[in-house]
Amino acid sequence: MTAVLRILLAVSMAFGVLAPAGRAVAADAKPLNIVFVSPGKTGEVYWDMVAQTMQAAGRKLNANVEVLTSERNYRTMQELGLGVVARSDKPDFLILSNEESAAVPILEAAEIAGIKTLLLSNTLIGNDAARLGQPRQKLKTWLGDITTDLTTAGARMANALIGAARHEKWQSPDGKIHLLGIGGDEITPASIARNAGLQLAVAAAPDVVVDRMLFANWTQSEAEQVAANYLGWAQRKGIRPAGIWAGNDPMALGALKAATAAGLEPGQDIQVVGLNWSEDALREIQAGRLLLTDGGHFLLGGWSIVLLRDYADGCDFAAASPHIEVKTSAITRDNLASVAALIKTRAFDRINFARFKARPGRCGQYDFSVDALISSLLPPSGAGE
Amino acid sequence: MNGPIKPAASRSVVRAMIWATVPVLLLVQLLASAGVEVSSFWSQIRQLDARIARVAESRADLIAEPLWKMRYDQVTGVLNEIMHDETIAAAAVYDDTGVVIARVVARPTVQALTEVSRPIAYSNGNIAVQAGRIVIAYSYATLYVDTGSRLGLLLVVGLLGTLATVIAMRISANTFIGKPLAAMMSAIQRSKQDGRAYQADVKSSNEFGQLANAFNAMQHTTSGALDRLGHMASHDPLTGLPNRRSLSERLVTLSRDARSPDALIAFSFIDLDDFKGINDTFGHDAGDKFLVHISERLRDTVGPEDWVARLGGDEFVVIRPEVSNEAAAQAFAQQLLEAISAPILLHDKQVVPRASIGLAVRRAGDPELSHLPALADIALYHAKSKAPGTVAVLDEALQHDYRRRRDLELAIPTGFAERQFEVWYQSQVDLVTQEVIGLEALIRWRHPEHGVIGPGEFLPLIERSGNNARLTRYVLTDACRALQRLSAAGRPQIRIAINLPPSELADHSLAAELRETCERFGVAASSLELEITEGSLINNIASASETLRRLRRLGATIALDDFGTGYSSLAHLRRFPLDKVKIDKAFIREIPDSAEDKAIVGVIASLAGTLGLTLVAEGIERAEQAQAMREMGVRLGQGFLYHRPQPLDAVLRELAKAGSSGERVLADGPSIVPEFAA
Repeated sequence: MTAVLRILLAVSMAFGVLAPAGRAVAADAKPLNIVFVSPGKTGEVYWDMVAQTMQAAGRKLNANVEVLTSERNYRTMQELGLGVVARSDKPDFLILSNEESAAVPILEAAEIAGIKTLLLSNTLIGNDAARLGQPRQKLKTWLGDITTDLTTAGARMANALIGAARHEKWQSPDGKIHLLGIGGDEITPASIARNAGLQLAVAAAPDVVVDRMLFANWTQSEAEQVAANYLGWAQRKGIRPAGIWAGNDPMALGALKAATAAGLEPGQDIQVVGLNWSEDALREIQAGRLLLTDGGHFLLGGWSIVLLRDYADGCDFAAASPHIEVKTSAITRDNLASVAALIKTRAFDRINFARFKARPGRCGQYDFSVDALISSLLPPSGAGE
Repeated sequence: MNGPIKPAASRSVVRAMIWATVPVLLLVQLLASAGVEVSSFWSQIRQLDARIARVAESRADLIAEPLWKMRYDQVTGVLNEIMHDETIAAAAVYDDTGVVIARVVARPTVQALTEVSRPIAYSNGNIAVQAGRIVIAYSYATLYVDTGSRLGLLLVVGLLGTLATVIAMRISANTFIGKPLAAMMSAIQRSKQDGRAYQADVKSSNEFGQLANAFNAMQHTTSGALDRLGHMASHDPLTGLPNRRSLSERLVTLSRDARSPDALIAFSFIDLDDFKGINDTFGHDAGDKFLVHISERLRDTVGPEDWVARLGGDEFVVIRPEVSNEAAAQAFAQQLLEAISAPILLHDKQVVPRASIGLAVRRAGDPELSHLPALADIALYHAKSKAPGTVAVLDEALQHDYRRRRDLELAIPTGFAERQFEVWYQSQVDLVTQEVIGLEALIRWRHPEHGVIGPGEFLPLIERSGNNARLTRYVLTDACRALQRLSAAGRPQIRIAINLPPSELADHSLAAELRETCERFGVAASSLELEITEGSLINNIASASETLRRLRRLGATIALDDFGTGYSSLAHLRRFPLDKVKIDKAFIREIPDSAEDKAIVGVIASLAGTLGLTLVAEGIERAEQAQAMREMGVRLGQGFLYHRPQPLDAVLRELAKAGSSGERVLADGPSIVPEFAA
């Protein structure tokens, strides 16, 4: 049986190389076994959604996605990863997230075991990056990484704030637009990138100043606290706070509460932006209190399956770059309606992931924009009910 | 003795040292420790300031980031950590708007707080700003408390140290200073008490030991000097015999050392007769030699238990501490007298010393033993006056005489004041015509208890009590008054003779006073005759001559009284300005029976005739005596044959009677007292 399958695989691969074109690939493509070791917790929105989009894409692209959850314990993550590597029935691909650089040992073990790996959301940094170099060089089986362009996200959020403030003429007596930045932390690449986006945007706007870059450990309550502190301080300094840039939605929600507590009406007196496309954020956008929430990067789960499908089908994404960077997208009141339900119901099966496969001859070139997403959406399956 | 000078004096030195040093010590100690403590306190203050400043700075560093990043809870947390420091009372963090971001208060404090304020600088790669200030309020209270308790401890330690020092000083000062001083003081005290030089018992070899050694050496020297002084004080340097001082000590020891209170002590008071004559004749050196001879004889004569002393001049004392009875004592005294009387060769001339001894014998237990010298003196007085060259034993009669003498002597001032002295007059008669040509004034003492006392008894007392001049003036005045009355009675030719004691001859004012008195009573000085004795001339020849001459110039006549009993110097008769010579009654008494006396009186009469002197025979009691005198050419006489001495009134009455009844001889006068006429 296996021998027959192998022959079949070899034949189909040869056939594929020889006859690369064809939209019917999916149908006859062989099924893939993919294991994802999630660093997050069960119930953790982002990682849950990553896993869910992964599995939804797997269903569309003939891939069996097995999700293992580390429960935010990196030792557990390594044990899980190494356990997968040691399996006799090895999967075709192993998807890891290099949070806290904990995925490196698993990468190296997978190299030995000959299991192909893809880093999702967090790639190699620092010493590891320097030591191991680019994908497929030292580690042949490390195919590459797929990450989000959070710097652009941060800048986009900042620019939205600046634009709104300029429009409302929320300059302080010094003639400048004063913003508050609330970052998650100062060390993780995902945080640094967002913050850098803010700085970039402000640097390009001479009439804008970020009074403080505060850090709230990604949490709503701490963000509320520091935002309140800032608002008090600003009041004492005679500053008219124009906007609060929050590195994620919970912190944006905290800032909203602080602003409300300070007697400000978000959306009217001050603008707040967040990131993550969280349901609460979407609700606030709906209420007109939150200017926007950037994000959609939980779709990295689905996109990673698209990449691996293409790779398995012979269209290697590394033809463009082994580093796939996915732009995020902002949800505002304008486009809220199209994605709100999707996110709210997590009906990711509505997404036609097959549509996002690379076109023949353009391997490695993908359009993962929100517009593309919206246009790919199938009508809700149980809409009538 | 000076009681209070006890070892207290030495202690006071120690105390003075302690008082002088201990307060200084305590003060210096306290000041020094307080100074150290205060400087330590200030350095601790500075250290605390610096430490709190460091705390503020380090906290500022820690707080900068949370403050800048508005993690005010973290700011409070950091601030809270410093509150473990108990000196910090409160701390606060202000942000760049000056608002309190965090404030922690350890405890409410009432003390003044010090504050330190430091800026909180925040910087990262892009910016460097002052995020705010940290202010820490802290208290020096713990330092104050610590310093206070240390000061208290230092005070206690200082006081204890001072106490220990005081005790150590007292002990050491008492040991090293007080004791040697006390030893020396004690030696000095004992030396003062009995006059002997005691050694101080000091053994140490330090300065006080040396001082004590020097003191002891001085005491040794002093001891010798004291011994010599004591010996000198108690001994006669000439003879080496104990002196008067020793006598009183001796008397004390006599009763003490006596074997029984009934033992008889013989006290012989020896007085050399006419020692003055020896001095005058042979000179003082010979006199001294004479005294030494006498002392040696006394020493040789007495036994080992006897005691010989020279009281001064020619007075010696011999005490025999135990005699069997008064007779034995008298024999012993006689023995002494004989020993003295052996001839002595002075300037190759033999001199036979003569002495009188007054002997007193008393029991050793006699409480009045100290009166022995006085008692013996009474006996001696008797011997000298009644029987020179003999031993007179003190008996009741002598003591009675002595007491009478003493009573009279004490009564003299009263006698004068109450005019108890009376002047009686005895007439001088022309042996041929039986006419009264003069009166001799004779003094009597009409004593209220003892009756009329003759001059022989009280005149020596008058002289001894220094009343000669007063008595003489007394008599002179009375005589002048008598002359007045005689004149008034029509007998202005009768003259009055006054006896002049020897001392008056030396008084140059006598002549002037005599003249003045005569003028006062309006009588002629030439009516006065002054009788002197040969002895009074000899004692003071020059002065006496001068006085006599002055008196004569006034018109008074001078009579030499008692001629024949004394020196009877014919030369005197010639040398002195005399008018009269009164032949002593001793020559008259045996006349006409004694051919010898008749011859002497005859010679005197012949001589007086040659020298132009008027002769007066005294003591004519019988008519044949008057007859004999007339035959020998003595013109004037005086005696009971004619008149006894009697008061002036009686004299005047008789004169008046005689005047009316012709020249009648009165064989008996109305004298009521025995004859004391001189």
